[in-house]
Amino acid sequence: MKISLPYSKNKRYLTGIDWIIHVLNCMTLKETGAGFMSQVVFELHGKADALQTESSLSAFMKKHPLLNGHSSRDFNLAPYWKIPTEGTGKISFETVHITNANKKDAFFDDVLIILEKGINRPFKNRKEHVAFHLITQGEKSYVAMTFDHLIFDARNAEAFLNMFQRDWEGEKDSGNITITEPAHLSMWMDKFKAGQLVNRAFLQIADRVPPRVLPLPPGKKGFKFKILSFGTKETEAIAENAFNEAGYLMLMPYALAASVCALHGIFAGRGISSGDYVIPVSIDTRNREEVNKDLFFNHVSFFIFKAEASDASNFLALLKSIKEQMYTQVKSDLPGDICKASLLMRIAPASLLGRLLKIYFKGEIASFCFSYVGKTAYTSPYFMGNKIKNIFHMPRTPVPPGIGIFFQQSNEKLNVILSYLDGMLNADEGEVILTSLKSRLGVE
Amino acid sequence: MNKESKNIEETLIKEVAAILSMEQGSVGPEVPLHEMGLDSLGFVELLVVIEKTFKIRLMESGLTREDFKTIRSLAAKIRIMT
Repeated sequence: MKISLPYSKNKRYLTGIDWIIHVLNCMTLKETGAGFMSQVVFELHGKADALQTESSLSAFMKKHPLLNGHSSRDFNLAPYWKIPTEGTGKISFETVHITNANKKDAFFDDVLIILEKGINRPFKNRKEHVAFHLITQGEKSYVAMTFDHLIFDARNAEAFLNMFQRDWEGEKDSGNITITEPAHLSMWMDKFKAGQLVNRAFLQIADRVPPRVLPLPPGKKGFKFKILSFGTKETEAIAENAFNEAGYLMLMPYALAASVCALHGIFAGRGISSGDYVIPVSIDTRNREEVNKDLFFNHVSFFIFKAEASDASNFLALLKSIKEQMYTQVKSDLPGDICKASLLMRIAPASLLGRLLKIYFKGEIASFCFSYVGKTAYTSPYFMGNKIKNIFHMPRTPVPPGIGIFFQQSNEKLNVILSYLDGMLNADEGEVILTSLKSRLGVE
Repeated sequence: MNKESKNIEETLIKEVAAILSMEQGSVGPEVPLHEMGLDSLGFVELLVVIEKTFKIRLMESGLTREDFKTIRSLAAKIRIMT
């Protein structure tokens, strides 16, 4: 494998976006006892062999010492990822065999509980960033990789497992991975100007009152998940509805508008009526080849949308507003400016930057998080010889806001994941959100 | 196809190739944009480029699916609108 590094093979400077992820990790860790982690889950036809899966993953992980690194700060104040000289073959690998589920639904409920335990378990130490779980029942299995967002974004995690699959199949490494990243300690004026533009954009979104938020539950809680997996026909119907209501290739604004509507019902039901909705949206703009080349760390871009509460029950007005904001932010290159400006923010310690992020929105960060990951970066129809039925993600949402809705596609099928802190929604509210989403997407 | 339409088509091919990080030769003028891998964000990027280059705003222009379907059909529509 050919890996080129800029200054030292044990050091990779963090980008501004990586540093924001660090800040979100610290905030989430403080509030919940575990960091900003996510889980990619493979639902497989067939029984995966526990011993073979563990030993193959372990051998592959050993080839990537970067995965056992940790963040540090250089003499020039730029934060970097310290890469150990050797990888470790010791991985966290949990196996659970379900024996007592009779019905299909009951089986998935049991699986979900195990997956939730996995994603809510903190990593053992600051050098562990990946853990695996294998759940089997009869001739069906789930393989999950819990990963730290410090080292992978969602599509990178998929691409990493895709690389593992190719390796397992005996394919030769293309040797094209890049983990280079300069310190970006030049062109300060350019970064200051970008900071000014970001500042203006945020001030325009910010109001005199904080955005509408759900209160965080007391104590350190884990995350709960609800998953909607649509079939191919339903996915096609959603795309068609998105076209009819939002326009050609407007699935992302359509999904966001549907999510605002669904959550608005919960806020209204609770009598929370102060402020508008502020929603940060992370999007990976890279194509599949770019993801495979730049496999580690975070490469998402951020948009920030405001949905006025008065529009939230008028779907078409909401959709129009979201599309307009998207157009304006692409035109002014707000995501690019956030990227540049965040390079400056790396100087600030994570705890300070965490407080700074709350200044714009009067002590809050957002109403909820949203992302549309798009098509999966995992290309093989198999995982270690077993045919893949579905791939979905279970991300812990940064806290605050502690709640998020995430859209992602695998195998021409759309998955929608609701992630929230335990206690933030009551048992019925989670179901109400899913029902409302289905109805709004036109696939009741 | 007249020279004007051809120029518009070439501009669109160049931009779509840049958005999708593809070679220009791999962008077919008759291939639907979504089949080439363009998503919501990429499409909005293309609309912004069209506004900057041809001074027309297509976001809420009421164009049909057929107008947006391929680079060729989009180029034909832009020619009429400019």
